[in-house]
Parts: sequence; C-alpha cells; structure tokens
Amino acid sequence: MKNKTSYAIAAGIAVIMIAFPAFLGAYPLNVARSVMTYMALAISWDMLLRSGQISFGIAGLFGLGSYASALAVLRGGMDPFLSIVFAAVFAGVMAYALGFVVLRLRSMYFSITTLALMEIFRIIIHNLHDFSGGPEGVVLPGVIFKGSASALYWLCLGGLFITIGASYYFEKSKMHLALTAIRNDETSARSNGVDIFKYLLIAFVVTSTLQGMMGAIQVQSYGFTMPDTAFDGNFTLLPLAMALLGGVHSTIGPMAGAVLLGVSAEWLKLQIPYGHLVVYGIIIIIVILFMPQGIVGMVRKASRTGRRSGRKAGASNE
Amino acid sequence: MKKALAILVIVTMAVSAFAMGGKDGAAAAAGEPATIKLGGTWPLGDITGKQGSMAAQQAVDEINAAGGINGHKLELIVIDDEMKADKGASAFEKLITVDKVDMLIGGMASGVALGQIPVLKKYNKVYLATGAASFKVEEALGADANWYFHLHPWDYNQGASYAEGWAAIQEKYPEIQIKKLFLAYEEGAFGKASYDATKVLFGADDRYIIDGAPFKSAALGGGDYAAVLKAAKDFQPDLFLWAGWEADALPLLEQSKAMKFNPGIYLGAPPGWPADFGASSLANNVMLYGMWAPSINDISPVSKKFYDGFVAKFGIEPATYFAPLSYSAVYIAADAIKRAGSTDTEALIKALAATNYDSPLGQTVTFTPSNIIKHQGVKNQKILQWQNGRQEVIWPFDAATAKPVYPFPAW
Repeated sequence: MKNKTSYAIAAGIAVIMIAFPAFLGAYPLNVARSVMTYMALAISWDMLLRSGQISFGIAGLFGLGSYASALAVLRGGMDPFLSIVFAAVFAGVMAYALGFVVLRLRSMYFSITTLALMEIFRIIIHNLHDFSGGPEGVVLPGVIFKGSASALYWLCLGGLFITIGASYYFEKSKMHLALTAIRNDETSARSNGVDIFKYLLIAFVVTSTLQGMMGAIQVQSYGFTMPDTAFDGNFTLLPLAMALLGGVHSTIGPMAGAVLLGVSAEWLKLQIPYGHLVVYGIIIIIVILFMPQGIVGMVRKASRTGRRSGRKAGASNE
Repeated sequence: MKKALAILVIVTMAVSAFAMGGKDGAAAAAGEPATIKLGGTWPLGDITGKQGSMAAQQAVDEINAAGGINGHKLELIVIDDEMKADKGASAFEKLITVDKVDMLIGGMASGVALGQIPVLKKYNKVYLATGAASFKVEEALGADANWYFHLHPWDYNQGASYAEGWAAIQEKYPEIQIKKLFLAYEEGAFGKASYDATKVLFGADDRYIIDGAPFKSAALGGGDYAAVLKAAKDFQPDLFLWAGWEADALPLLEQSKAMKFNPGIYLGAPPGWPADFGASSLANNVMLYGMWAPSINDISPVSKKFYDGFVAKFGIEPATYFAPLSYSAVYIAADAIKRAGSTDTEALIKALAATNYDSPLGQTVTFTPSNIIKHQGVKNQKILQWQNGRQEVIWPFDAATAKPVYPFPAW
C-alpha cells in the first residue's frame, strides 16, 4: 500500500514536470534545464560513490559526450538526436576500456586518476585542431528542435528521467547490495562471493554513459562547444557539492541538493548581482559544516528521533 | 512516501519562486509604461564585466539626469553571465521574456556569446554587443542577423589593425625595427585565436619571422611561464607579445626579469589589466593593445566627461576599455531610440545603422559591414604604452598622446 502511494505520487510529480512548459515561460524552463543537467550529474556521481569510489572525472566524461555528439553531427552528418545516443554509448565504451585500468585503483588514487583523465581528454581535444576545432571549439549548423524551449526542456527532462531510473535500479536491485558491500568492506564482500571488479565496472560504465549523454544534450541545446566550456571544472565541483548538500548514497539526496543549490544560485544572482558567488560559497560551506549528512540525512535523523521519543512517551504511559 | 513528498515540496517551491518572478516582472512592466528598458549581461566577477556594467549604469544615470529619452526614463537591468554559456543564455531569456527589455547590450566572452546566439535568433531582439571578438561568433550569427550590432572589433579586425599600426610606427620612428616576433599565448580560445590571427596577418608577405608557444594562464590554474619565456629568449625576438588574462600580467614580467629576458618591445594584449598595474616599477614602458586609456582625456572631451563621471560615481579609475565601450553602448542605444522615436525593432535597426557617435574611445563610431555581419562598429585597436604609471596612446597617430619609448629598458 505504502509503495503504491509512493509510486502514485512519483508519477504525479513526473506528470507535473512534463507539463511545466504549459505554464512556465522560456526563462524558468531554461533555469530548469540547467538544474536538471546538474541534477543528473549529481545523481550519476552518487551512483558510483555508493561503491566507495570518489570520481573527479564528471567534467571529463561530460565534455567527451559533448564533443562526441558535436563531431558526429559536424563530421559524420549524423542526426542530432541520434548523436546523443551515439555520444552516450561512446562515453560508455571509453569508460569500459579505461575501467580495466582505473578500477584497479582505490580511494585517492582512483580520484586523482579520474581527475587526470578529465585533463587528458581536454588536452586531446585542444590539440586535434583540424578535427575538433581546437581551443576555439566548433559551432553546429543549428540547435536541436529548432531551439524550441519546450522541446529542449523535454529533452533534458528525458535525460534526467533515464538517470533517475538507472539510479533507482541501482537502489532496488542486487547492485545496491553489491555496491554497499564493496563500500563497507571490500575483503569481506569478496569473501562472500561478490565479483568486485564486475560491479565496479558496471557502475563506472553506466555513470559515464549518463554523464556523456548529459554532455551531448547540453551541446545540442546550445549549438556549440569549446574545451573551456565542455570540460569546465564546474561540471565536477557543482554536482559534487549538490550531492553532499542533499545527502549521499541515495537518489533523493542529490536531487534535493541540485534543486536547492540550483534555484538559490539563480535567485541570489538576481538579488545580489555583484556578490552572489561569495554568498553562494558561504552557504555551501555553512551547510556542509553543520549538516555533514546532508538535507536528507538530517530529515531522516529528525524523523528517527521523533519516532523514538514517541515510543518512549508511549512506553511511559503504559 | 516521505521521499516522494519531499520531492513534491522542493519542486513546488522552485516552480513558485520562478513563476512569481515572472509575474513580478510583468507587473513592473505594466506599472511603469514610460520606462525604456535596456537589458545587459556581463561577467560581474571579472573586472571587464564589473566596470563595463558600472559604466553602463553611469551613462543611464547621466541620460536620465538630462531628461531621459523623449521624456521617457531609461532603466538598465544587469544580470551576471558568470562567463558561462548556459548562464548567459538564461539571462537573455529572462531579460527578453520576463523583464521585457526593449534592447539588449553588453557581453564580454565569446564562449558566452555563442551560447546566447540561439536565444537571440529566437527573438530577433536588437542587441548592441560590447564583447565577443572570436570570428566563430560571427560565423554562428550568419549574414541575416541584422538585429546584431557589434561594437567590439573581431579578432581579425584587431590583427589587421596591429599589423597596420606596427608598419606605421616603424615608418615614423626608423629606430624601431621589427623583424622577429614571438607570441606567448594562453592555451584557451582567446590565446589560440590571437596566435592564428597574428600568424596570418603578420606572416602574409614574409616581412616578419613569427614564432610562438602556449602557456597555461594564472587565471586558470597556471602561472609558471618558464618554458614559454625560455623559448622566447632563445628566439631573440624584436617584439615579444603575450595574449592572456590580467592575472598573467605581473607574474609574466617578474619571471621575465628573473630570466633576464628583455626584448626591444614587450607587449601585452589582455582584455583587462590589473587595476594597479601602472604602479608597479615593472610596468614602465610595457606596451599594450587596447581601445582606450585615461590619457585620451587630453584629446577627447567625451572621454574626460566619461572618466570624471566614473571616478566621481564609483571612487575608482576605469581600468579596462570595456568601461568606455559599455558607456558608449548606452549612449548609442539612447541616441538611436531617440531618433527612431520608438523601440520598434525595424525602426531601431534603421536608426542604429545610421549611428554617428563621438565616443570616449577617441574616435567616432559608425556601423559598417564586416566579413559576415552588416553592422560592425569599431574595427581597430590602439597601440599604447605604460609610461610613468600612465597609459599613453602611441598609435593611431591622430589620437597619440606620447612618443614611444624604445627599446624596452633592460632589467
């Protein structure tokens, strides 16, 4: 019964989100696209984090997806929509190949390697001047769906739904058990028959595919890409901050963090044009200092405390 | 259940916040019909955007103090583009659909402009751009964008004017002879485009021998210029040019001094300089490319009016040409609206195309076609030199405020 109600509410929210273009203007839809992009990146980052692996390579895979899609259209004459699928698969295949090397590393060694990969991708794109446009980037013949605000919104929403679906699958399938076991104690997990490399590889490939897909959606929505924008460090740092703010190891946490940080960043910018980034930074620091478990963690803690005191009160009444 | 409710609450709050934002804008527009609205985006965290937007506000205040435009008050709405394409596009969406501005102005980075172009093409809103030098922007705009008025020179305009300037300087001052030219460029789009344009425009008739090497800008986490300076020193150039950001200006000079690298001409081409650069002893006799310097006050009353007004209003000196350029943009827009007698797009385009504005840049601004677009404003840059803490204009000679000091003094 409880599950059925949850699914009904989730479906209701999905319907409302799909219907947003009917009652929101182009500007809120544009902001929503930005929030959804970061939300999808935050969720995908968290999906790999559930195995205990901290990746700093989001921007690298996002940029790789951007360029794969842009170059497929420009050099290969591919349909823009198909190029998004192609870019996602391309990022996944690259992650599969790289996974055999980087997934043998753990903790900070893995993190630093993913950061280095991001820089390597950027430098390669930088130097393939004739093919990739070099530092000046490439401009596409046009924006997908002729720039229709509603269509671009739905495209981004589609990417987000796929990401949420994948994350939900990770939460509810045996992937959850395997990744949690690896995070808690790798030796113990291995001795219990968990194929550690296989599960890490699946998580790495799936999250990279999602990040590449969002990069492709971004480039097709703006009609151009250049290394400085495609591999912008913000595509690593902001999703990370959003997931930490919302609460890690869940789908809802990064979603909450993305909405709060995304909307507050835009709101602050309009209220304090000349100092919003300082205030924004201070808010992130304060929240992470005082709510290290994130918003969702704090809500859960408060809920548990409430239940416990309720039970105590009930027992004393008896 | 709780998760789903939490999402519902968050989404509802977010939607309400932005939906209310839209209503507020519409109400304001309905309540103040007499106001003519300009919408501008600049990178407010960068000195170019910060001072550009401040100077634009200064011009708006001056115009309003003088009675406005045909009796209407002028209003400027500024949004930070954060030097990000998606933020810049989103800001234009807000200015056009929520704030319902009559005209757009501003801008600095080409990467942001590229992200804004789909929005501009969707609404065909008249835009007076103060930035975006990359030819990629012009390619993306296409020949049909007659609503796009570009004040800042394109990269190829700048390259051509530098080639012309150095040829003229060598002719007028025979002691200055340039054969070998080395360009140290930041590895991003700006630096690479500068290098490509320099190679094409200076290397055209084998008059110059050109070499160059990239560096990672201090603004982007770099700051070690040893490799590029070693390559430059080995090349022994007559003219050393660096194209980077303001954060590179002093570290490059310090490391050049440490390596005893002192070419005949030491030239920088960042879009903005550190505010107190002239106070450094290292700055003396460094040459620079730019569109404006405070010394132009000596030859242009419009420049003096801009400069005095800026210092009086903000208590600081304008440190980048984006300030007078943005100030000019507001005056050009106001003049066009006044002549058009309305903010109707076609009337505004026609009036803007007929602009003839005596600008604080020390030159008159008109719009003529460039390689692709129909309305290109300024097509040249100036060659300047830091002399005793002051930027002096060396070329063009009709705007010159001093003679060049040559060679660059040994360390």
